[in-house]
Amino acid sequence: MTETSPVFLLDRATRKLRDAIFVDDVPPELVSQVQSAWSPHFAGSTAEHGHWDWNKKYELVEQAPLVYRVFGIVVDEEMQGLMLVSTAGKNCRETSQNGKPLVYIEYLATAPWNSADIVAEPRFSGVGKIFIRAAIELSLEEEFGGRIGLHSLPQAETWYRDVCGMTDLGADTKYQGLHYFEMTPQQIEAFMRG
Amino acid sequence: MSDRKTMTLNLTDAEMNALEELCRKKDLSKTALMRQALRLYQLINARLDVGEKLYFEHEKSKAKSEVMVL
Repeated sequence: MTETSPVFLLDRATRKLRDAIFVDDVPPELVSQVQSAWSPHFAGSTAEHGHWDWNKKYELVEQAPLVYRVFGIVVDEEMQGLMLVSTAGKNCRETSQNGKPLVYIEYLATAPWNSADIVAEPRFSGVGKIFIRAAIELSLEEEFGGRIGLHSLPQAETWYRDVCGMTDLGADTKYQGLHYFEMTPQQIEAFMRG
Repeated sequence: MSDRKTMTLNLTDAEMNALEELCRKKDLSKTALMRQALRLYQLINARLDVGEKLYFEHEKSKAKSEVMVL
């Protein structure tokens, strides 16, 4: 069932915080609207996730709704970002927490008009951090100790490593060579403090 | 968080021992572990229903064995 809660995004033009709505379990009709609204903005861009089809990705939720969940952030009735996570079937690889369950971020994207790779003057910042925080909170709720993991597209590696403070476990040859990142309890604490 | 319902689960000693061992290994409560098991069961059945197969693969020998799911 869809639930919402208040969050804030930074309006980069005014440097002021804007009220936003965090949406738990984004319904399929909204995912479809987002796909239609976002896709024209990716035309001709070099964004590595420009080809993502959220309608297709939502099939995972329809297939196993207990496992996969989609979250979103809305400002002015426009979706500013989407995240799809899985809550089962993935275990930690980092030595100190090897084999423990985690929340795995399958896909995370900000709206194209918020991405510096696509527009000269992005509208909002903070989308990614809100999603990472939400994934950590979900992981705590699931008794996974806040542990999260993901494979990053090359354009986002620096952000996960330097901004989020995640451990880069290197290129995963079984996952298109994408770098795999994980967050340990110490890193979670540092991120949540920041 | 969604509303939760409580149920009683009747297990044999061997099943309870296995549950407790997995809880220790995964650092989860019994409830969290059973929820994980249910999710995995849903996921595996959904993949099997669309015609996929479930295999275990030995990391070194690459030997594959199909897993039959009830």
